Parts: sequence; C-alpha cells; structure tokens
Amino acid sequence: MSYLADDRKNETYLLMGNEAIARGALEAGVSVAAGYPGTPSSEIIETLAEASNQRKLYVEWSVNEKVAMEVAAAASFAGLRSLCVMKQNGVNVGSDFLLHLAGSGTRGGLVLVHCDDPGALSSANEGESRHFARLVEIPLLEPGDFQEAKDMIKWAFALSEEIKSLVMVRSVTRLSHASGNVTFGQLPENDSKAYFRHGGTFLDPLEGPLISLPVAYKHGQQQEKLRQAVDRFEDSSFNIYSGPEFPELLIVTSSACHLYSKEAINLLGVEDRVGLLKLGTTWPLPPKLMRKQMGRSDKILVVEEVIPFLEENVKILVAELAPEIGIKTFFGKKEGTLPKVGELNPDLVLDAVSKILQIDYEPAPQAYIKRAGELAAVAAPGRDLIFCPGCPHRASFWSIHNILQMDGRDGFVCGDIGCYSLAMLPTGFGTLKTLHAMGSGTGLASGFGKLGRFGMDQPVLAVCGDSTFFHAVLPALVNAVHHKSNITLVVLDNSGTAMTGFQSHPGLPVDAAGKEAPSIDISGVCESIGATVKVCDPFKLEDTQSTLLNLLEKETGVKVLILRQICALSPEKKSKKMYDMKIDETTCLGENCGCNRLCTRIFKCPGLIWGKEEKVAKIDDVICTGCGVCASICPSGAIIKKEVA
Amino acid sequence: MEKTPLASDPYNLVITGVGGQGNVMASRVLGNMMSRKGLNVTIGETFGASQRGGSVMSHLRISSETSWSPQIPKGKAHMIVALEPIETVRVLRDYGGPETRVICNTRPIHPVGVISGDQVYPSLEELRNWIKELTATAWFIDATDAAVRLGDPIFGNIMMIGALAGVGDLPMDRSDFEAVISQGMPKPKVEANLKAYDMGLELIEAV
Amino acid sequence: MHVFGSSELLEDVHQKDLCIGCGGCVNLCPYFKNHRGKTTMLFPCTLAEGRCNAYCPKVEVNLDELSLSLWNKPYDGSPLGVYKEILAARSGKKMAGGAYQAGGTVSALITFALKTKRIDVAVLTDRKELVPVPKLVTQPEDVVKCAGSKFMASPTLAALNQGVKEGYGRIGVVGTPCQVMSATQMRCNPLNTEDFHDPVELMVGLFCTWAVDTRGLIPLLSECVDSACIMGMDMPPPPSEIMIINTGESNVEIPLDRIRPLIPKACSICPDMTSEWADVSVGVVEGKSDWNTLIVRTDKGADLVNAARKAGYLVTDKMPEENLQHLCVAAAGKKKRALSAAKEKGLLNTQQEGQRAALRIREDVVEKILAEDVEEVCRT
Repeated sequence: MSYLADDRKNETYLLMGNEAIARGALEAGVSVAAGYPGTPSSEIIETLAEASNQRKLYVEWSVNEKVAMEVAAAASFAGLRSLCVMKQNGVNVGSDFLLHLAGSGTRGGLVLVHCDDPGALSSANEGESRHFARLVEIPLLEPGDFQEAKDMIKWAFALSEEIKSLVMVRSVTRLSHASGNVTFGQLPENDSKAYFRHGGTFLDPLEGPLISLPVAYKHGQQQEKLRQAVDRFEDSSFNIYSGPEFPELLIVTSSACHLYSKEAINLLGVEDRVGLLKLGTTWPLPPKLMRKQMGRSDKILVVEEVIPFLEENVKILVAELAPEIGIKTFFGKKEGTLPKVGELNPDLVLDAVSKILQIDYEPAPQAYIKRAGELAAVAAPGRDLIFCPGCPHRASFWSIHNILQMDGRDGFVCGDIGCYSLAMLPTGFGTLKTLHAMGSGTGLASGFGKLGRFGMDQPVLAVCGDSTFFHAVLPALVNAVHHKSNITLVVLDNSGTAMTGFQSHPGLPVDAAGKEAPSIDISGVCESIGATVKVCDPFKLEDTQSTLLNLLEKETGVKVLILRQICALSPEKKSKKMYDMKIDETTCLGENCGCNRLCTRIFKCPGLIWGKEEKVAKIDDVICTGCGVCASICPSGAIIKKEVA
Repeated sequence: MEKTPLASDPYNLVITGVGGQGNVMASRVLGNMMSRKGLNVTIGETFGASQRGGSVMSHLRISSETSWSPQIPKGKAHMIVALEPIETVRVLRDYGGPETRVICNTRPIHPVGVISGDQVYPSLEELRNWIKELTATAWFIDATDAAVRLGDPIFGNIMMIGALAGVGDLPMDRSDFEAVISQGMPKPKVEANLKAYDMGLELIEAV
Repeated sequence: MHVFGSSELLEDVHQKDLCIGCGGCVNLCPYFKNHRGKTTMLFPCTLAEGRCNAYCPKVEVNLDELSLSLWNKPYDGSPLGVYKEILAARSGKKMAGGAYQAGGTVSALITFALKTKRIDVAVLTDRKELVPVPKLVTQPEDVVKCAGSKFMASPTLAALNQGVKEGYGRIGVVGTPCQVMSATQMRCNPLNTEDFHDPVELMVGLFCTWAVDTRGLIPLLSECVDSACIMGMDMPPPPSEIMIINTGESNVEIPLDRIRPLIPKACSICPDMTSEWADVSVGVVEGKSDWNTLIVRTDKGADLVNAARKAGYLVTDKMPEENLQHLCVAAAGKKKRALSAAKEKGLLNTQQEGQRAALRIREDVVEKILAEDVEEVCRT
C-alpha cells in the first residue's frame, strides 16, 4: 500500500520530485499513464504503477517513448485524463507523433512530463526538450519546487482539457531526483468512462475523427489554443515575483534554477537590491505580465540550464516592448555571465550576481579552500565508473574484447544505451567504439556491415540490452537482415531494464504493476526474421568466446548472440552468493611473469584487492558477489570458487 | 506541528559514500525523520550512472522556516556523514569549512584505479589527520565492521544515522526512526535496523 | 642475452610484421593467444622483462650464446650446424601404414621415444579443419595422427608451454627451425629462474625453407579445392614450381607464384634451414620420396636413432654424396640470404640506442657467411 495513493488531504510528506509529479497526476484523476524508463524520469511511472494496484488506473512501461505517447493519446482521445512520461531523449523519439498530435488536438487532459538532465548526470548528452514546445506550438510549464511539481501537474491537466491540446511539463534531475515537503490535496474517485467519438465532421474537434488535416485549418486552431493558454498564463500563480519594486538587478528564472537564485540572493544578503521573477509558464511567455515585470529594472539576468531558451524568448518580448519599457541590459548564457554547458548550482548563480553587482564573496576562508584542495588531490583518488561486482557485462565484454583481439582483423563494437555503455571505459576494456541514441548501435552496424565492397574487412559487432532491443534495435536488425549486412549483434540480456531500476519490458513475464504478462522471446524474434541465433551464459567464458569466434568466422549475414545472465543488482540475485571465493596465496603469481596481476590490473572487479604488502590478490568479502568469473581468468588457478551450499 | 530549534537554520548535511552503500536510503530515512518533526527538508542526490562504483552524495537542507535548494552552497556544510573515508575529504574540498564536523566510517572501498595500481589509497592514519585538520570535530567509527557482525555490511548506513543521533545537532527520536523504517519493511528487518541504529549510537558515544 | 618485455616484443616483432606465430609466447601467461595462426596480445603487460620476449625467435637471438650453451663452442656459421652424421632414413616395419609426408622418420622416432618412456609427452602439430594446431600427445598410437607437413606457420610451442605448466619434465618436441630456436632459448633459462629445470628431453627439428601464412593459405586452398577433402599437401623440391594438394581422389596443383606472396616476412631473416639446435633434424631426400634425410647432432639423438633402428622402428641407409652437397648448398644459401636481408633491414647486430636486433652473430662470422661462395663451401 502506497500512502501516495491514499487521500491524506492536507497532510505533508517528504516526496521526491517524481513522486510529487505522480501524486499530482493522481489528484488530477489520471486514468492512463505510459512511459519508457530513463533517468531521471522513471519513478513517476513506477509510483503510478504501484498506485494502480489500489486505484482505477492503467499504467504501462511502453516499448518506447513514441508508443508511450500514442498509448497516452489514445486514452485522451477516448476522453480520459492521461499522462505520458520520459527523459529528454525520449521526446526526440516521440517527436514525430508529437507534431501530429499538436495538430489533431486532444480531448481528455493529456500531459507530457519530460525530465531533462542538465549536466548529463545520467545521460549520454545534455540535450533538452523545452524547444519542442515552441517547435510544435504547445504550452510548456516548469515547476520551481516540489509542491509546485504536484500542483502544476494538476493544473496542466485542467489546461489541457480546456484548450484541447497536449501540455508539456518539464522537470530536471535536481527536481525529479531531489526531495522536499509536499502537502497533499484531495484524491478524486475515478469514475471516467472511455469512449472514442468519431462520427462528426473533420472540423469537429469533439465529435470528429482526430487527425491533423486539413493542415492549415488545424494549424490555425492550434495557434488559437496557444493564445488561450497565454491568457491563462497572464495571471497564473506559478509566476511569482519577490523583491523590491525597482531592483538594481532582475533575475528571471524557472525550474530548479529558481532555488539556486533564491539561495544566491540570500547568501549575498542582497534581498533589497535584487528582484526574482520565477516563471512557471515558460512557453509562450505571457506579454502583459512580462511588460509589468520587465519594467522593474534595466539589468536583467536570465538564469536557466542547457540552452538559452528562456533568455531568447524574454529578449524577443523585451524587444517588442522596448518602446514602452525601454532598452535593457541582459546577462545570462549568451554574453557569458553564466556557463553555457553543464548544470547550474547556487554558487554559479552567486558568482554571476556578485560579478554584476561587484560584490566580493568567499564561500570559505582562502587558506582553508587551498589546503582542502591540496589534501583532496592526494587523499581522494577519483572513482571511475565501473561495472558492479558480479556484473554480467564485465564477463561479456571480457569475452568480446578478447575474441576481437584474437580475431586480429581490428573488429569493433557499436555501443548502445544502458549500463553497458560503460564498456567504452576500462571497466569494459574499452570495447565500445561508438555510442549514440537508443538502437543506434545496431543501425550503425547495419551500415558498417555493407562497406565490404569498399574494402572494409573489419568484423562489425553491436551490443544492446534486452530492453533496448525492443525499444529501437528491432527495426535496425530487420534492416540489417533484409540488406544482408554482415554483422554480429550481442544482446546483453540481464532480464531487466537494469540501468534505471528493473522496470519491466516486453521480454519479461510481468508488466509495470508486477502482474503476469506475455513475454516475447528475443531469440525467437531474431530467428523468425532470419538471423543466425546462439545463446550463451556470459559467465561461461570459454563457451561464449568459441561461440562468438565461430559466428564471426563461419557465418555470414546477421548473427545474434544472446548472452543471458541476470543483473547482479536484480532483486532475485542481490546478496545471494553463488560461490564462496578465496585466493590460494601460494599459487597466486602476483606481479610475476605469467600473470602480472591480471585480475586486479586488467579484470578489475571491485571484489578483488591487490595485497600490496603480501604481493598477492585478495577477495574483498564485503564487496564480492560470488559470481565466480575471476576463477576462470586466473592463469594459475589461484582463485578458487566453492559452491555455496 | 511544533517547530524544533536546530543547531543552525538551515542545517546543511551531506551524506556521502560509494554507489551501493545505501546512501540514498540513509538520506531518505533521515529526511523523513526530520519531516515528521515538522521541519522543511530538501534532499538533493546523485542517482543513475554515478551509482556504478562512483562517489555519491546526498545533500540535506533542514530548516524550520523555508525550503532551500537541493544543492548546498560551497563551504556551507555543517555536518558530513561519510560512509567511506576518502569521500569525506572529497566532500570537504567542496562543501567544507573550518566549522564543519564529520562522522566518518573508517572502512575503505578502493576505487578501481587503486585496485589496478594506478592510484594510491592513503593510510587510515594519514586520512584521520587530514580530516581532523579540515574539521572542527571528527568522529571515526568502524560501522561496516559492526554491520558485518550484525549480519550484513549494508547496515553500515543505518549505523551512521544512529551515530548522527548521538551527536545531538538534530531532533532525532528513535520512535521517529522506527516509524519511518517500518514503512514497507517486514518486522524482522525493522528489528535489525533498530539494532543497527542503536549500535551506531553506542559507537559514537564510545569515541 | 638481453631480455626485454612485451611492449618491446610488440614493437620489434608484431609491429614490424616479424611474428611467425611459433607459439613460443603462448600459454606462458594470459596475455598472448594464437588464433588461426596469428599471435595477438589481449591486454598490455607492464613487466620490463618477460619470457615472451626472451623466448621469441625473432628478437635478440644471440646465436653465440646458444651455441656456447648447447655445443660449448662459439657459433661458426657452418651451413648445416653441428652434427655427427647424416643418414637416409625411413620408418621401420613396426610403423607400417601411416600417412607420412615422406619416410615417416619423425613419427617413428617419437612413437619409439614415447613407447620406451624416453619422453613422457610429445609436442606435435595436428590440424583442426585446415588450421594447424598444437597438440600434446602421450599415447604412442596417437603420434601418426599428427603426421604430415602442414606447410603453414603453426603455434606448436603453445603445447610445449602447456606441457610445462601441466608439470611434464621430459618432453619431446617436434618443431620447425624457428620453433626449435625459440625452445632452445627457453632451455637456456634466459631469465635465470632459480629452480629452473630443462623440460625438453628430446628435440626433433624439421627442415624448412619457408612457411606459408595460415590465414593467407586457407582461403587460397578453399578457392582451389573443397577444403573438406584435403588429405595432405606436398611441395616437391626445386625446380618444381608447384604445391600439390592431395584430395584423396586426385592431386590439385597450385603454382608457387600464388603461394610465395603468402610467405611471412619473418621467414626472410631466418638463417636456419635444418633446425640446427635439435638433437636430430629430419627433412626430405631429393629423388627418393619415401625416404628422409636424418641429421644426427647429439649423443642423445644418436642413441635414440640406434635404439629405434634396433627395435625395428627405423631403417637407415647411407646418404649419397650428391644429396649431401645439395642439402648443404640449400642451407648455406638460406643462411646467406637471411643474414643479408636482416642486415639490410637493420635487424642484425643492431647497435643504435633504444633499438633491438632480431639476430646477434659475431661480426667476423657474419662477414664470412656473406662473403662465401656457397658451392665452394659445400665442396669440402
């Protein structure tokens, strides 16, 4: 039982931003929620999926973000309130549908929550998705704290239903994955009925078919909807000004940057000199409100993360308003007061404000900062990202790396998105040579595999995880088979969407709510489209390597090797050791010729320690998960595994 | 609800460690305990890829007045609860100041660069001295060792929360801990966690 | 001799395309592997001195040191090396029925050595599909299964290293000149290991003019014949310009012009045609296809040959003077060509700072060999 799905009106809880968003959707009476896992967005669907066991609600992890948008849109078309959730890259995946959806319009409230990851804390890029709102002409909201994260979702549903358009709500890592106090509102009983009305005319938005044709007419409607949204934005309580009536400097900001700005003003003690305009409705900007607020000061600092989206929009408005409010001096990303890349924090905003106001500020005494820096340089060796102890990927990439070396034709692996992306680093023996979008590894391989006629004879491999396979690899694999591309795809099947926390996917026999579901067999799918398919346990290194070498040398066309072994962090495997590991210190060759610390120098599982004094390897029992793989790589048989009874 | 006075307002606390040590759970437990006292709590934490053997950090801002940013400004940590010794120094570099205090678990987790021999892990003696030099007060306890005796090294995080209670900066009640930990946890596990909390309290009193 | 590590081995041998794939560095450690005839390093090793480098027949091989250690005298560059006698030989009646390349002398000697427990295990070269693979053989009746020339460079010594790892102390090795040279370096304990014991009890060397790159030859063979049908191959001595592939039913001929481009670069600097560092060396005899040339070099070799003959495993005969002359000229010619090539490539007695030689031979001996008229030398 989750308290998030209980009424508990007026009670206050410490909620993660994503939980607050989920609660907001529940308070709005959401009926359907769909998404694809991706940090920092995943907990929203997870929370709703759990709630679906208590409330009338359908929640799914869709196969990818485009399908998630379509599933959510269907509910809206049938008159239900529905939510669609994804990380920033997901909006790119769904954007084709998004554009059409903006044209066709919606019926039941439809809200798209996209969680951006400024600074790419858990992403392969820090691309953002606010610009999609401008691109497809739909309203955009940005919550500035945890309470707003909940309340704004509720409001977004109402707005969407009123203007019959999808509404985007943008969160960021520092809201989604941060926690704060949230006071609950009422949870309504959900008695919605689903019915899709389609008997009316093309031009009837409520009774007719839902399509984006005729384009000019629907486009005009869309712009009218935006005008209605702007009217609502003019007096929205999510746009808040605090500070003196005419400050020396006006900060315009949104999202988590509002908290950083507030902190900076407080630390500098400039509450009487700096005004703070926190905007919650960031596209389209409401012109009347902006005319009033922008008139307060001649100096404007726009504080936001990733691209200067807000800054540009504010500048356009201010230019239009220049005859009334005069010419302003802008500070922000464009002129360089704030960094153009990476996430912001209170100190970066503080730096910007103190520069503009010419205030000296020291976070700590200079001598302390200097000494702490010196000590950290020697005392705190960096921690490279690594595969977890017992991770099947370490074993898989050991085999892939080794057979490519043995093959000796300078073969390479096209990478994909998941924990296994780390295989571009030493933890995966630097095996991955490309890394792009979901499914791109196989798409790239499909292309590389056709370059034989131009003299390319390097073996071409791709890897993908089980969830990624269904998300976007499948079309690329079909392409490769159809075009007789000569490639080997290694599916690293660890039975879950491990990177984001074991969400279900179509290959698993459960759904988002943990209920039984038909699973789709990856090997069967691959065989049916005509690929040569083998399945191995990556912990069996010799078997994996000989199978892979055979596929590379003997078979042509598309070959698929499925390496099946459950993630070491999966609930069913966690803290269950398969083997007790120990080192026979008398046979350990250590640094001598014949080994030279293969296990600790190259294999580098964190469960292994190099005993500097004794010059032998050791097992760290606290960290070792007992997978037994290191016993197979030790050249002298000094690592001994004993089955746990 | 009655507001409780704090050692500082906002009280800025960092819980740090290595991915997999239970950093996030510790921060949520403490945050919920403070929330039950009617305090405004903001927690900022690192998730996702950084968990894979990387350094992790949770920032807790505890205030009786308002919500603060999920990131503590540089040099403004009042307390650092470190599940791993070298992480203490890393956090002090960015968030420490002469008044910062530290509770440090002495059990090292070697970074992969140390395992491979490319980097050196300092001796515990050196680390103790350096941490003492950079702080107003530093407590060192072997929480992992005690947790292993309790049956699972993962209890180290709760032991550190117990130790924090012993310092007395925050209005931490054992009953709040029990109430928070009991949510969605089976009874025997609750018992074990309570034991870990108590052991942490004892450990810090013994320092 | 001067020993370096794997990084120098990669620089001097692999990057210069001088690795012959003898297997001398394989199975010593987890880093070097041979797959389909090609030796590669899986991960870098940081040791400054390694057996991989010390045993390699293509880097810092000091023939004087080998000669002093084996024969107690400096290397003099004589065309056929040190020997006691040269005979014609073939397998005796106890060895009837094998698919031998020529006379079956090698199979006979190894079978006999295993049977009489002179050796515990033999390091031979088998074939997996078309790829030559090293094999440890302990049963005398398994020896003939490995009979027949492979003509491809093969990692045979990987089996020697494996045998040592498995604890065998009396090993018989059959190898080509490069393999015998590598194993001989190993026998000299170049890293001065304290409790070193020479694991090689018997060294049977093969004659070799050059080998063919495995990865080059297999596609060519598959192009010319159905590779599943290949029973054996032969390369008749000059002036014949063909390689013959025996498919059981018929013989397919491949012109040497198509084979020669597949000769590894490493063969061009090899000064040894007759496996000079072996106990006995075996090759073909011109004009007598069912006989072998047998060079007996050591007392141990002579003892084995005599005993095998007595026991009916081996038949010997005198070698005609004319054949001896031809053999000598061929061996002297290879030596002269190799030294001249090595010198030209800067691989002979290299002096420059930071660079290593492939071969080290006393300068006066080098000069003598480069200056000599091979016909003239072999007349005496």
